[in-house]
Amino acid sequence: MPTSAPSAATQKPENPDFKSELLGLVPFLRAFARSLTGNQEAADDLAQETLVKAWQSRSSFIPGTNLKAWLFTILRNQFYSDRRRAWRQAPWDQDAAERIPGGGEDQVHSAELSDTVRALKHLSDEQREALILVGAGGFSYEDAAAICKCAVGTVKSRVARARKTLIEILDGSDTLNDVSRPAGGDAAREIMAQLDQLSPGRSDQVGGKKRLK
Amino acid sequence: MTQQWEMDVAEEKPSEKARAIRARQRAIGRELRRMYDDVAQEQVPDDFMDLLRQIDEAEDKGGKKVS
Repeated sequence: MPTSAPSAATQKPENPDFKSELLGLVPFLRAFARSLTGNQEAADDLAQETLVKAWQSRSSFIPGTNLKAWLFTILRNQFYSDRRRAWRQAPWDQDAAERIPGGGEDQVHSAELSDTVRALKHLSDEQREALILVGAGGFSYEDAAAICKCAVGTVKSRVARARKTLIEILDGSDTLNDVSRPAGGDAAREIMAQLDQLSPGRSDQVGGKKRLK
Repeated sequence: MTQQWEMDVAEEKPSEKARAIRARQRAIGRELRRMYDDVAQEQVPDDFMDLLRQIDEAEDKGGKKVS
């Protein structure tokens, strides 16, 4: 027996598939949330808030339209509204996600977090979200524009600027170096200094072990 | 490679410099998708299932009666 009367369905679309579709999209909500927050814990909170919000406003979803884009819009709105509250204003920090304990295999994997992902933290929120939606999420510019509530041209230019900035950062790599790497310049200077010290002794040895008194 | 990304990359002019940029953009695209897909492929934490169960229970209480 169906649990909802047909008359109720016209008012409230109690589509039994809605919940299972929602559930099926949770992995993508988590992925988008992670790329917005850069932090696993904050991302999962955000994704859960999104689920609740989505369920509460399910009557405003138009069946047959893109549920994923609809959910991403809710998630994004939630992200920015949480952001306005002081307690949530943590900077984007993918490194924090790596430190979450108990990751097992995942953790090993995330320890290899690429420079590209690390460089994301230097992008503005707007550029980052546009880049993720189009570059990783597989959304068209049109869908990404609808999610970000801006013009298609705006999304295109944000994505283009984000790509350019990432390449500049990766080429320069200075910004990355101050954060997480031993400075390459110093190490090189140290090696050169050691070579300088070694080479006179070496040339003496090459010339013969005996030194002139 | 996402569709949109591939289309953008294909639009670049095939000069040597453009080819280099294209290669860089492809590599960046791959890394971004790897990050995204890694999370999407993780097992969904139990919290999410609990949440949906709570939604179900709230619905049963608030709305129709379960026979």
